Amino acid sequence: MNKIIRKENCLVTENLRLARNLWSMKFQAPEIVGEYSGAGQFVSILADDTWEHPLRRPMSIADVKGDCVSIIYKTVGAVTKSLARLQTGNAINVLGPLGNTFTGWDDENDLILVGGGVGLAPILNLYKTVKSSTVILGARTAEEHFFTHSPQEGVFLTTDDGSIGIRGTVIPTLECKILSKQNPIIFACGPEPMLKTIQNVAKKNHIPAQLSVESYMACGMGICQGCAIKKSEKEKSSVPTYHEKYDLVCVNGPVFSAEEISFD
Amino acid sequence: MVRFFRLRKFHLIDLRINIGDITFRNPVFTASGTFGYGIEASYLTDVSKLGAIVTKSVTRFPREGNPPPRVVETPAGMINSIGLANVGVERYISEMIPLYDNIGTKVIMNIAGTTLEEYCDVLEKVEVISSNICGYEINISCPNVKKGGMQFGVDSSMTEALTAEMRKRTERLIIMKLSPNVTDITSIAKAAENGGADAVSAINTVVGMSIDPETGKSQIYTTYGGLSGPAIKPIGLAAVHKVYQSVNIPVIGLGGITTGLDAVEYLLAGAVAVQVGTATFRHADAGEQIINELHQFGDSKSIERISSLTGAVKTYTE
Repeated sequence: MNKIIRKENCLVTENLRLARNLWSMKFQAPEIVGEYSGAGQFVSILADDTWEHPLRRPMSIADVKGDCVSIIYKTVGAVTKSLARLQTGNAINVLGPLGNTFTGWDDENDLILVGGGVGLAPILNLYKTVKSSTVILGARTAEEHFFTHSPQEGVFLTTDDGSIGIRGTVIPTLECKILSKQNPIIFACGPEPMLKTIQNVAKKNHIPAQLSVESYMACGMGICQGCAIKKSEKEKSSVPTYHEKYDLVCVNGPVFSAEEISFD
Repeated sequence: MVRFFRLRKFHLIDLRINIGDITFRNPVFTASGTFGYGIEASYLTDVSKLGAIVTKSVTRFPREGNPPPRVVETPAGMINSIGLANVGVERYISEMIPLYDNIGTKVIMNIAGTTLEEYCDVLEKVEVISSNICGYEINISCPNVKKGGMQFGVDSSMTEALTAEMRKRTERLIIMKLSPNVTDITSIAKAAENGGADAVSAINTVVGMSIDPETGKSQIYTTYGGLSGPAIKPIGLAAVHKVYQSVNIPVIGLGGITTGLDAVEYLLAGAVAVQVGTATFRHADAGEQIINELHQFGDSKSIERISSLTGAVKTYTE
């Protein structure tokens, strides 16, 4: 919790459409980079100068190179659509780095990285950091993918409609890969139903998993207490407690061990 | 031709204001629940520049808060239903109060409770130790918990009784925080004054709701939450103006303040000081910015004392 958080005006150096409704933005953020500690961390972006949309938008860091940070975002609402209109040389105000990182693997582990939808940002960041791994990326159709399906390199794409890669969700592919690995460990980010299923798969197979979760948040630094996530049931405490039932996604996460949290 | 240049006299507005017998260096405070216990954001803003910090609500026992979702953005605002998640008074005393020794600004502790005894217990526990807390803001207006003081905040006689009990137990400032979710905010303000409050703060959040039309789901677990942000500024201004006209104790204004000019509006409506809340989530140093803007405003209008603005609104009718 004592990590240093910076706020800076960042120059956009790249803003590219990657796939349908999926964009990548790179901006100069030397101070944030200076405090950055690894894949899993996020930044909170102020895209709107007016007060129509008061809150910053939390976005996972997809890459850090030199003094630049990259994010991947999906254009869903007015704010993300306005982000997509930004051009090289425009400035955005960014708070970060926020949150924790993926941890807990060693050389003995076979890493399986799973990303669904826009949840691929921290997964790609981790993918770039680790030596070898299996990556499974899921989307609804081919137009939402920008990676190449290349099983020989350990990159598997799945689509709901089978238009590219393997038909279906990421789950069957994940279950299949688990069986072929020695000491698998799962790192996942994506929509909540996907994470919940992965949580069950990990539990059933007795393998460790770390899940990066999403939440609405107001401050991003543990002050507003807005981004609560339920912890998995332990013995009910008979005395009043604080942060025994709920963690905060912004400071205790966004990465949690699968057994730590509950999606129920 | 000889030209005469008249050098503009260097002008610096006096931002000091008084509440009770306490002088604050400026009228910009943080709003409860938006600045933690006062120390969390210290590397993003110079806390010592602020007039005061008002802490998150502290209760007799620790509180987990409400299940998620707890916050959602709405047009020019946000709804929260945190449910008074806090460490409880004992941890507050052992972990937070010592940090105030070198905080460089005044600290107002916000207290919430479910019963009169709970409010009194919290206050007594802090009163018996030595601290540089300069006063208490009493939360009688949290809309997000079943029993969170709201039963006090909507009832004049209960407000007066609670204020009087607090008054008996401390010489420090007592500020009663008023809810806009009442029929007549002035009657509650008068009750606080009758009970012996040094000041009132207005307004707490406005009850609100948000629905995701795609899923049909409420965006807040407790269905209703507290709306804050620029969306409620006109509501806050009207409340402050009404309260200002009905009581003789100072009014602290809040609700949607994001700029120095917003603060000026609240002062003109009748506030002696303001609190900055939701804006702090966006920029932790919002309060500092607003103080700078008040300096600029004072300079541009050649105002000597910020306190001269209080209640100076020009209305068309009496």
